[in-house]
Amino acid sequence: MRLPLIFMACSAWLSATSAWGADRTLSVTIYADDLALVQDRRDIDVKEGRQRIEFQDVSAQIRPETVSLAAADISIIEQNFDFDLLTPAKLMEKAVGQEITIVRVNPATGAETREQAQVLATNGGVVLKIGQRIEVLRDDGLPVRVIFSKVPDNLRARPTLSVSIIGARAGTRRATLSYLTPGLGWKADYVALFNESDAKIDVQGWVTLTNSSGTTYDNAQTLLVAGSPSQADGGAANNYRPPPRRSTLQVPGTASGNRERLGDYYLYPLAERTTIANLQTKQVSFLDVHGVPAEHGYEFRNRWLGTAEMPVSAKSIYSFSTSAHAGLGDQLPAGILRFYMRDKRGDPQFIGESRIDHTPMGSTLSLATGDAFDVKVHAVVEKRTRIATFDWQTDMRYELTNALPRSVVVKLRQEGLWGDSSIKAESQKSTRPSAEVAEWAVTVPANGKATLTASFETRY
Amino acid sequence: MRATPRVCAMLGLAVGAASRPASVLAAEILAEPPSDLIVTVYRAPYRNGGSIDLDDLQGFALISETRIVHLPAGRSRLRFEGVADGIEPASAIITGFAGGVIEKNRDARLLSPAALVAATLGKPVELLRTIRKTGKTERQTGTLLSDADGVVFQTPQGIEALRCSGLPETFSFEPVSGLSARPTLSVEVRSPRAETKQVTLSYLARGFDWAADYTATLSDDGKSFDLGAWVTLANSNGVGFPSAHTQVVAGTVNRANGEEEVEPIDIGGPMLAQCWPRGSTSDVSEIRMFKLADDEFKANAPMPMAMRVASLQEVVVAGAKNVQQEQLGDLKLYRVPERTTLASRQSKQVRLMDRTGIPVNTVYGADVDVEEDDAVSTPAHRLLRTKNSAANHLGLPLPSGGVAVFGAVGGQRLLEHESDLRDTAADEEVEINMGESPDVQVTANKEKVSIDRAPDLLPLVPGVSLRSVKIGAANRVAISNARASGIEFDLRLQLEAGARVVRADHALGAKNGRPIFRLHVPANETVTVRYQIQRTAERILRTP
Repeated sequence: MRLPLIFMACSAWLSATSAWGADRTLSVTIYADDLALVQDRRDIDVKEGRQRIEFQDVSAQIRPETVSLAAADISIIEQNFDFDLLTPAKLMEKAVGQEITIVRVNPATGAETREQAQVLATNGGVVLKIGQRIEVLRDDGLPVRVIFSKVPDNLRARPTLSVSIIGARAGTRRATLSYLTPGLGWKADYVALFNESDAKIDVQGWVTLTNSSGTTYDNAQTLLVAGSPSQADGGAANNYRPPPRRSTLQVPGTASGNRERLGDYYLYPLAERTTIANLQTKQVSFLDVHGVPAEHGYEFRNRWLGTAEMPVSAKSIYSFSTSAHAGLGDQLPAGILRFYMRDKRGDPQFIGESRIDHTPMGSTLSLATGDAFDVKVHAVVEKRTRIATFDWQTDMRYELTNALPRSVVVKLRQEGLWGDSSIKAESQKSTRPSAEVAEWAVTVPANGKATLTASFETRY
Repeated sequence: MRATPRVCAMLGLAVGAASRPASVLAAEILAEPPSDLIVTVYRAPYRNGGSIDLDDLQGFALISETRIVHLPAGRSRLRFEGVADGIEPASAIITGFAGGVIEKNRDARLLSPAALVAATLGKPVELLRTIRKTGKTERQTGTLLSDADGVVFQTPQGIEALRCSGLPETFSFEPVSGLSARPTLSVEVRSPRAETKQVTLSYLARGFDWAADYTATLSDDGKSFDLGAWVTLANSNGVGFPSAHTQVVAGTVNRANGEEEVEPIDIGGPMLAQCWPRGSTSDVSEIRMFKLADDEFKANAPMPMAMRVASLQEVVVAGAKNVQQEQLGDLKLYRVPERTTLASRQSKQVRLMDRTGIPVNTVYGADVDVEEDDAVSTPAHRLLRTKNSAANHLGLPLPSGGVAVFGAVGGQRLLEHESDLRDTAADEEVEINMGESPDVQVTANKEKVSIDRAPDLLPLVPGVSLRSVKIGAANRVAISNARASGIEFDLRLQLEAGARVVRADHALGAKNGRPIFRLHVPANETVTVRYQIQRTAERILRTP
């Protein structure tokens, strides 16, 4: 008598998940800033009248306010996102006042005794009413199985989206469910192999997709958008901005490629359908260029009044172009560029990496890979003299050393020249790329040193 | 350690058996275990000097694995099992395919009890329940309904929660696809024909570090020392690298994602965590019971990465054959001469260098703020100073690391001080900090000088004109030496911007833009330095 009832309850629970369609087309558009648009096209069976359709295979991080369901001849009453999870404790809690079946198992014989019980309370322990007696469940420690007849309506194994609709007519039809979700993101990763003998680089670009949304997207048509539409609320969590970095983009490009665009964003569609599994990192190639000329140099930036007790390493810099001729010939989505170089045995070795921003085609990039072991600069404030109340003279000395067996050129930048700063004397001619910066290109001989002195007058 | 090929092959078969819908089905191929390995260890990028911390290895490594793959014609999914746990999947490079790589994947989900339950959710599962007394096992088919904080399942009898009845209960699962035993990287490739190829997989992985560990032994007279060094490298990954070409790279490389965490590997939480409240009438507190159960799960669950590293203990000293240095761009590469096995959770030492008879100066010194007037004596600091030049039996790049300085007492070698050494290029000055010396004390204070007491004036510093100087308070620094030998002492002053020393009773020099008195303090004596400074404001008033 009881069993058919249970089967009915159970089959109803399962049938609510009927939106698992076999003929399903998923398309996923991923933006660069932890945001994705999922469009899920599938056939759904609709009865005539009011009904509820459950979607269990949507992103676990779905933003329910962005959900829209479109299909012919239906009208939507309401959408619900249930996140009350089915746990043993919840199951027992929701059974308060209801009948459950307990099965006592005799530890000596294994014999089972079935009884009906009413759950009175679950505060700390489970209190049952059996017949006219009150008992605490498993108070004696003996085995007792508890069997519930059904799962309460709201409890789910995973957060679940359900849509209540009214069907104008019964039948199967194509429906499109679309929503926004965080948890999916992408960035670019570049591999650059620098060939020291002819100063050329080979660059490969990979799109790296990450999925931590809690759901697997099977066989999805995937489109990547190089740009981040501002989010009204989602962006608020990411207010932290790292301190300003050395600018990598030296000359912004002005060339146009043949990539598809959405507004001002470039689009990178994946050539084939792919499965984006949960907790998976996936990489797909989008760039492969060989023999691009690259320049290797050194750079040292001294902050205003920067004095070091010991020499400090100069930065090792690689620069190249993204133009169509003598360059990479593509616009580069933001990501990390890793440099490699071959060692004496011919094995590629990692020599440092640098982050780049979205870079238009035709730009010149200058990337720091790390500190040069053998090229160092010792900057010292020799003297500060007050000429007048708001007029100071600062004498700087820079000692550059090079332990390499070849001569190098170090681009030495003195930064922080604010106010009316001018150079009164210098041992080598400087340039002023901006009011704040004086720059020298200092040649340091092989296994030798060079000294640069400069005297700044600062009026304010 | 890596599993044998046979185990890998079996896993591959098991995984290949159950898989995704036919439309995306690509043959699952398992790459053979690496036939050749190259491991290059990089230092923690922001650690400037000092030894490594075995409990928290902040460096990384570039790992290149050469593997044989047997590809069928067409599209296939190639799995590389047993990559390092700390793999940065975005850095993986695979070379050697003719048809090209369609995509690369790293699946972070490992095979664990919790992952099994999660993968079986909503699917049929077999429940095993055993009666303790009779030993009889009852098998029942059901469906897993939930694994949120405890497991709920359904059988034809109704809905039950696992392990809440007090009976021994467990599940027997059907084979699950997509979960691997060890960290795995997979690639989808297309091959024009069936072939056997040798491919190379390279990637960066966290959980490595290295440092140079120097030992300096001072001679009896303290005028020279012998310098020896080990390269200490360590691997806190759960994967070992047998018979690998091993090298370390000195110098600081940029890490753009230094602040980001590597995408974590999901090792799975404890399964079967909770039931409904199980308090009884005799309980004092039911919380204790849960805690005990929780501890039990923790004991059985795989340890998280950070905890496992703490058990890194094995230290292996490879034979005393020096590493070979070569230039790598602007970095220094040190090659371990022979293939070596870098096992999981192991630290290893290889000889870097041995040099003897390096002349050294012991210099005492103090930095004195001219505003200081507290007459409290402070111990002077002590430095060993030498030049990294060929004339001094050095003249080679010295990678950063820790230095242990030993001295000899009555023929016995004793540790004097431990300090750090930064990256030092050839022909640079080397300074080894030797801590403070209680025998050499520095006392700074000001003394009142009356305008009227002209005879007590200090001599003018050369280049300072008499007219521009007024007489004010003088500063006095006393340096006392309780050692049985004379010492060299560097007294450096800290001045405000624009101020200068105008009168002093000792010769004045400059170092790094700051005034310095280079003094000799004889044995068991005190030397007093007196000087006067002039501030900016005074100067503007006086000089037209």
